Amino acid sequence: MSGSRAAETGRGGANTIRWGAFLAPPLLLSLALLVLPQASFLWMSFHEDLGLGQSSETASLVNYVRIVTDPFYLHSIWLTVYLSAAAAAIGLVLGFATAYALARLGGWRARLALSLILTTSLITIVIKLMGLNLMLGASGLVNQALLAVGAVASPVAFVNNELGVLIGLVQYTLPILVLMLFGVVQTIPVGLEEAAAIHGASRAAIFARVILPLARTGLIGGGLIAFNMGMGAFTSAVLLGGGRVLTMPVLIQQKMIQSSEYGMGAALSTVLLVLVFTVNIVVATCVTRRRGSRP
Amino acid sequence: MSLSRRLRRITLSQVAAALVVVFLLLPFVIVMGASFDQSGAYEIRFPPRSLSLEAYAGIGKYLPALGRSAMVGACVAALATVFGLMAALGIVRSGIVGKETLQAFFRLSVQIPMVVTGAVFLQFYYHVSAVLPWNPMSSMAGLVIAHLFVAIPYTVGAISAVLVRIDPSVEEAANSLGASHWATFREVTFPMLRPGLVAGMFYAFIMSFGDVPIAIFLVNQDTMTLPVQIFQDMQFDFQRGMLAVSTIVVVLSLALILGLQRYAGLDLVSSSGRK
Repeated sequence: MSGSRAAETGRGGANTIRWGAFLAPPLLLSLALLVLPQASFLWMSFHEDLGLGQSSETASLVNYVRIVTDPFYLHSIWLTVYLSAAAAAIGLVLGFATAYALARLGGWRARLALSLILTTSLITIVIKLMGLNLMLGASGLVNQALLAVGAVASPVAFVNNELGVLIGLVQYTLPILVLMLFGVVQTIPVGLEEAAAIHGASRAAIFARVILPLARTGLIGGGLIAFNMGMGAFTSAVLLGGGRVLTMPVLIQQKMIQSSEYGMGAALSTVLLVLVFTVNIVVATCVTRRRGSRP
Repeated sequence: MSLSRRLRRITLSQVAAALVVVFLLLPFVIVMGASFDQSGAYEIRFPPRSLSLEAYAGIGKYLPALGRSAMVGACVAALATVFGLMAALGIVRSGIVGKETLQAFFRLSVQIPMVVTGAVFLQFYYHVSAVLPWNPMSSMAGLVIAHLFVAIPYTVGAISAVLVRIDPSVEEAANSLGASHWATFREVTFPMLRPGLVAGMFYAFIMSFGDVPIAIFLVNQDTMTLPVQIFQDMQFDFQRGMLAVSTIVVVLSLALILGLQRYAGLDLVSSSGRK
């Protein structure tokens, strides 16, 4: 394709469009919006907060030292990683089962289900969270049902705690996981499963020996995306945690807006960013290395 | 039991799929259903016991914010599409080296957690207003710029994906039939790019319209967007008008999605699976 393009350039002369020039405005804009704000932010993170929005004149690592030594911040980091990883794991199991069932179902019913699932992820998350809150609250539909069948004696506290945030994160990531994994399952020929079944493999064996190895890369990729979404999830953590579940995104917003500790907010943001990028790079490296070592 | 029947019977995965679809749809059904309930001031009931439109009387509080969100979303979608088209043309069509790196660079801003982007832009705007006689946060411009930063990857991705699939021989045919390069681009390439343009514009709008974690840092009472208004009222001041305005947003979103799918060549299921 680039060959025919080069030929065109030679022939067209003054009439040719110089496509490379188009790249300049978006590249400059994106670079400016990335580098300038990030640089001033990073600079901020090295300055101690002196209260009332004032920060110290001299640079120091005091904010970072506080983050890695204060149990309060360490617990927040742990909580964010743990909830994101748990939500990614639950999302992968549910998402893969759903994607598998829909891919094997096929036809207009699968398309309709996928469209509905996708649509739920496109409508602003606050509305979804409002519904989840009403659904899972003390007098919500789920507790009404549980009480009616006598499964529980008093309403279960599904929201305003870590469980609520976990449920919210699963809701948040599931649509994307289902769509991604649907594409993955579609690439696994149903003939392979039938062949394994003919040779007497049980459903569990077919799953473990045929489906899982073929879906592995897709599952890792999907898991990473879900994990990243969880690490940055602010809205669900606030609205389903009832302000009591202080994950890193929640803390960052509190520091910046409520207590005007800009240095600390900046340092927490930097730690969150580095954490997310490190996990992604480590997982990506492990995946390529394992793939490379295979015969 | 025959083999085909064994594979076809209802499996655990089908049960899971049904539960997942219900779990994902139910919150919206509850919000919409509860908005039609007639009840006392603060009690939210679902299923509704007696129907009424009383929640819709409280909608006035949210209409200015709804208008602002739609306006910001439209500006972000239009600007991101222009910049995304330029970037996609520059990357795919020019002979530039390091195309992979450029693509990766244009994906970077969506990989930064949005709450970090919001905090970063808040700090940046403080600096800007200290140096320049302009405070980006006194108007919607500050929010549009921050959203644009996150939206450009969506449009670059959607447009390049279509651009690389366009067969160059179609353009060469137009050229050899006497069309100038600009005429070829206008009359041949651009119409073929439409699915990518529509998909990119749509995702940019949706991201901007629904955003809380960036806007929460950058808005004040005069620039309040709808998601942030609902977010704050859900925490501090539950109003039944929220249910009504949410129902309207759900209906409008559905209309937008269906309309674009039917009339503008938006293929949601396949264009999102690529992500």
